[in-house]
Amino acid sequence: MKISDLTGKDNYFEAFEVGQVIRHARGKTIEGLENVLITNLVMNTAQAHFNEDSMRGSQYGGRLSYGGVNFSLVMGLAMQDTGENALAELGMDNIRLLSPVVHGDTLYAYSEVLKLEEADREDAGVVIFRHYGVNQDDKLVFQGDRRMLIKRASHWADR
Amino acid sequence: MSDDFRARAKLSPKGHLYEDFNVGEVRIHHWGRTIAESDTLLFTTLTLSYNPLYSNRAFALAHGHSDIVVNPLLVFNTVLGLSVEDNSEIGGPFVGVGALTYRQPVYPGDTITARSTTKATRLSASNPANGIVTWLTEGFNQRDELVIDFERSNLVRLRHPPKKEAAA
Repeated sequence: MKISDLTGKDNYFEAFEVGQVIRHARGKTIEGLENVLITNLVMNTAQAHFNEDSMRGSQYGGRLSYGGVNFSLVMGLAMQDTGENALAELGMDNIRLLSPVVHGDTLYAYSEVLKLEEADREDAGVVIFRHYGVNQDDKLVFQGDRRMLIKRASHWADR
Repeated sequence: MSDDFRARAKLSPKGHLYEDFNVGEVRIHHWGRTIAESDTLLFTTLTLSYNPLYSNRAFALAHGHSDIVVNPLLVFNTVLGLSVEDNSEIGGPFVGVGALTYRQPVYPGDTITARSTTKATRLSASNPANGIVTWLTEGFNQRDELVIDFERSNLVRLRHPPKKEAAA
C-alpha cells in the first residue's frame, strides 16, 4: 500500500489560498438514519430530536435534527476537498446554528480558506477553514471554523 | 386511591433550568461511553467524512497511530451528548460552540467521560423568559487525560420568569 495513492493529489497544504471558496459537489438529505441514529449513539437525551409525537404540534411540525449532526454532516460534505490529506483536526471555533433542520431537509456545504499558518513540523501546515452549510432553499443553516493540520505535498505526495 | 396508574404517577423530571446554574460549579456528567470501532465507522461514513485515518486501519498505522482514529466530531458529539441532561435538555436552543481544542487522538475501545463548569450566566433584556448560560465542557479518556475541551452557550429557560410589565 502506497499511502499517497489513497487520497487526492490536489488538496495538500500548498493547494490552499486565503480567500479561496470551494463549493462541495455532494449534498445529503437528513433523515432518521442520520439524526436519530447519531443523536442516540452519542446519548444526547434531548427528545426534541427523537420523539415525533412530542414535536408534531410544535412550530417545526416534527423532530428537529440535532445541530451536532447537522454540522458534522456539513463538515463531512466538505471533508474530501479540505481535510482528506489532514494529519489531524486541531480544533473548532465560532460554531453557529442559524436555522432549524428537520427530517427531509438537504444540506450542502461550502468552505472558505480563512488563514494559513506554519505548523511546528516541516511536513505539514495549518489551515483554518470556515465551513458554511445551506439547505435546499439556499438558506444558511450553519457556519463554523475548523483548524486542520494538513500534509505538504513536498513531503507526502510520493510516500 | 385510584386504580389507574396514570392518576397515581408522578413525573420523574429531567434536566435543569436557568436558576440551577451558578458560576464556578462543576457537574460530572452521567454514564460515560466506550467508543466502539463500529461507532466511529458508522459516524464517519454516514457523515461522508472522507479521510482514511478514520476508515482505514493500515493507513492510520502508517501514520504512527495505534488503530483507526476515532472521528474527532464523534468525540465532540459524544462529550456534548453526555452533557445534555445536566446542561440543556429542557432549557432551550443552542447558541454556539467555540474555543474547541482536540488535545489528543481517541482510539476504538477508549472510554469517554465528561464534565462541565458553569462559566457565565446572564439574563436577556429582549427575551426575559430565557437566560444564556455558558459552560466549559471537558472530555476525558479512561486514563483521565483531557481529550477535548470547548465552550458552549445555550438559551436556558427561567423557572420563574419575571412577570410581564403592563404595556405602556
